[in-house]
Amino acid sequence: MDSTNLILCAVAAACLDICAMVLIISAYHERKTGGKRWNRITSFMELADYNTVYPLGCDEILIGRHASADIRLADLSVSRYHAILTVSDGIWTITDMGSTSGIFVNGIPVSQAQLRENDIIKLGNRQLIFRRRRDINVR
Amino acid sequence: MSGNTGSYISSCVFVLIAHIGMLLNVFFNGNYDSLTQVIILSGAVVILDVAYFIAMLFFRQTTFTVDFLLILVLNMSVIFQSCFGEVVFDYKHYITCIISLVTCRCGYLLCRNHKWLREQRKFFYIGIFILMVVILTLTGSRGMWISLGPITIQPSEFIKPLFILACATSITEQQKKHKILCFNVVYENIALFGLTAAICLLQWWCRDLGSLPTFVAIYAAGFLLRICYPKAKFSKKKLVGAGAVLAAVAVAGMKFAPAYVQDRLHVDIWADKDGNGYQQSQALIAIANGGWFGKGPGQGDLHNVFAHKNDIVFASISEEWGLLYALMMVLAILIIIALPLINPPRSYFHGTMSAGISAAFTVQMALNIFGSCNLIPFTGVTIPFISTGGSSLMISGFMAGMLVACQSPTMRSPHLNEQIPKRQLYPRRRKA
Amino acid sequence: MKSIKRCQKIISLFIVMFIIGMVILVIKIQREASFYMINSDTLSLGKVYDKNGDVLFDGTGEIDSPAGYLIDVGNLIGDDKGQMGNTLVANNLKKLNNYSFSTGLKESGGKAAIYTTLDHKANRAVYDAFAGNDGCAVAYNYETGAILVCTSLPSLDVTQGYDDIDNFPSGTLLSKTMRKTVPGSTQKVSTLIAALEIMGPNKLFSKRFDCTGSYHNKGGNDIDCHQSYGHGTLDIQGAVENSCNPFFAQLIEDEDMPLNKIKDVYSDLGYALNGADEDYIDINGIKCETASTTLMDPYEFRTQWGCIGQGDTLVSPVQLMMWESAVANENGKMTMPYLIDHITDVNGKEKEKAKTQTSQRLFASDTASTVKEILLTNGQNHYAYSIPGYNIGVKSGTAQVLEGEQENSLLTGFVDDPDLPIAFCVLLENKNSTWITTDSIVKVMLDSLSNDNGNE
Repeated sequence: MDSTNLILCAVAAACLDICAMVLIISAYHERKTGGKRWNRITSFMELADYNTVYPLGCDEILIGRHASADIRLADLSVSRYHAILTVSDGIWTITDMGSTSGIFVNGIPVSQAQLRENDIIKLGNRQLIFRRRRDINVR
Repeated sequence: MSGNTGSYISSCVFVLIAHIGMLLNVFFNGNYDSLTQVIILSGAVVILDVAYFIAMLFFRQTTFTVDFLLILVLNMSVIFQSCFGEVVFDYKHYITCIISLVTCRCGYLLCRNHKWLREQRKFFYIGIFILMVVILTLTGSRGMWISLGPITIQPSEFIKPLFILACATSITEQQKKHKILCFNVVYENIALFGLTAAICLLQWWCRDLGSLPTFVAIYAAGFLLRICYPKAKFSKKKLVGAGAVLAAVAVAGMKFAPAYVQDRLHVDIWADKDGNGYQQSQALIAIANGGWFGKGPGQGDLHNVFAHKNDIVFASISEEWGLLYALMMVLAILIIIALPLINPPRSYFHGTMSAGISAAFTVQMALNIFGSCNLIPFTGVTIPFISTGGSSLMISGFMAGMLVACQSPTMRSPHLNEQIPKRQLYPRRRKA
Repeated sequence: MKSIKRCQKIISLFIVMFIIGMVILVIKIQREASFYMINSDTLSLGKVYDKNGDVLFDGTGEIDSPAGYLIDVGNLIGDDKGQMGNTLVANNLKKLNNYSFSTGLKESGGKAAIYTTLDHKANRAVYDAFAGNDGCAVAYNYETGAILVCTSLPSLDVTQGYDDIDNFPSGTLLSKTMRKTVPGSTQKVSTLIAALEIMGPNKLFSKRFDCTGSYHNKGGNDIDCHQSYGHGTLDIQGAVENSCNPFFAQLIEDEDMPLNKIKDVYSDLGYALNGADEDYIDINGIKCETASTTLMDPYEFRTQWGCIGQGDTLVSPVQLMMWESAVANENGKMTMPYLIDHITDVNGKEKEKAKTQTSQRLFASDTASTVKEILLTNGQNHYAYSIPGYNIGVKSGTAQVLEGEQENSLLTGFVDDPDLPIAFCVLLENKNSTWITTDSIVKVMLDSLSNDNGNE
């Protein structure tokens, strides 16, 4: 094994390494575009408490008291798995999952309802507002 | 393509540079009689690169990283496979790689809409059933290959993506529980369990024990994601119990395995290095011979050993390109698998799908690499994208396409005119 | 979102497990690569040196020593041809191969070598002293454990190849020093140690037994003495010096010598008793057989002969020599012998420098001192003339083999001299066919070793 061989091997290996690194970096870049695209799909919506903001990061979101729920409301009046939020064609829908206290959207008890901007959702004693995201520029 | 022109161009450039670095190594260190083979190889690799870069422009995807990694790895494998023993362009592998890229596109187009996909579930089951019948009837006596003239097909490979799709699920589906006796169960989980058992029995029957762990791993990933979410009634104790049962089954399986499996399990490759341990001992000697930096493309001796292009391909690459390079090749495949960690899927269905794909890929790689290096019993499994073999490459490409789909989903309802009820009140409660 | 995170966790789990596997694999390959390489068809072996830099084996095959120059070490050092399995080279190919994972196999110019402790000049002198008779001789430094002389006849010069293998006399392809043989009266040292351990010196020295040339034992068999007129009444010192069989037969039968205690001492010494599993003494990968004997009943003919050195008793010369080290060190601990002083790897880096190791305590220090005294007295009384100039403690032995058709002569002992701490064992086969004696071989051995010592 002579030195030219070694150098060439090292060069080829380095090229591959750099390429892998560049691809990882571009994956992180694309993560941003992916996020923006997701925001468009979800109509830039979020759920908010009086002091907490819950981002809506995937197309099925569980709301409940249980630790594995995506949006965890630590309140005994909320069922462990209270409701599920789903999105389709930019429209969010809330569905009851057999909760004990039910769901009230703008004061009306519903088992399933399409959500519009600034709807107030009441789960047990907790109230959430379904609103447009505030941290981004909405055109 | 959408946005990110800068990262698209830089990715193109660096993939090309990586391939050119390899080709330079072949040119200066390679073992070839005439320069034409090297030129053909270089031309083929560069043309495929550029062609795929252009083809990608026609697809609107959120991320292209999987595609770039796929073309990087596939062309690497073309170069590897063309160099064993002597630099001769491997047409057959080149063509299967192109087919693999095409199936990748198909996988993407078919799987990007998870809502549509979820409704096709019955076809997955039917497809698996048909393939199982095909294996039972068409493969030679208890074998795993169907030969059609010059082409041999391994139908069990085709079950893999269908099985991954069958394992994938959404949260809503896990809510549709039914009560049997005193257990709340989801019918589909039972169906899936039955399907897994059937596949395992079939694999056992046709002595394709290599792909058995792959299916078990896919099912394990799917099972965990199905059971544990959202009704987390499965405590850690029960999980440990399930693991113990699995281990017991594995031990029992090894104990009562047919004689040829026992041979593989207990062979001391160094005591039997001209018989059962020949491939593995030669593979290990080849890795030792290659060292960190290898002997140079085409300079190895392992090409005299059977299955140097698929079963012990890791050792062949280590010998000629060095262990360092072989490890980096493995790293590149690992990055493909790890991409869902960077670009998260946006639905549980796609999430479970990614988990199943990563299970299939890692288990296959582990079986191949660790098996050929005598860490675990040797099975004839292929490394995805690197080993030759039409069926395996096609399916690996398809599964890569599924990964692309998971990261660039379309979130459209499959039924355009579907009416979602605006508001649905609770049914009136009857007073007793 | 937690649901997606859960998927990601499972993906990471698979990846992490795979990476752990890869790390294990790389470490394993790193560590075992040299082993893989010795199984390959292409080896690039280095050289084996003696302690003065004399080449004993050259893997390149370019050695230019005259034919027969290496015949004295042929079946100890061996080669890589596969004809001899229990040799230094065959068992240490890994150390001798010019290979490391980072540098690869060096076809030429590699510096892998084994530096042995052998003294080739002395070894050759001892070999010549046998004058063509069969036998073997081994000697080592009982303070450090370095084997200085180890030769076995008949032997071969590995540089001359194996074309004539069909005509090699039997025993050519192995070193007899590592093989079990009938120890003859050298076995009486073990019995002496056992008696001292059981009774203590005062009681043993007070014992007197008669020898009339033959002893009719309690089992009804005759134990003959080599001196047919008998030795008269003897104490233990006289019995050892005269190597009197009837004395030892009566000692075994004595009620102060319960057989189970003898068995205990024998097992401590390393005998495999009554067909128990035998172990090996490992000398740098070379397997040396350990002693074995049968002890059933103190009145039985076979058991008595076993303690005298005939019958079922078999001991390798190396082990006889090792027991002498336990005596000579006066602590009852054997010094473990080694053959490799150090090795160099492919880059010439010195590695694996040998360290002196001792065994567990086999018997009490007092016993060792008493045995040493008895053997030294024996040496002064009987060997001062044939091996002059050394303060040696020895025990001779005559072993009847091939059902009495052939007599082998053995001499095992040590030099009590801090400047020449040598323990040795010499075996001369078929002693009645030659004028050579074990004394003369030991004299040559000690002379050449002390000369070499003086020159340093």
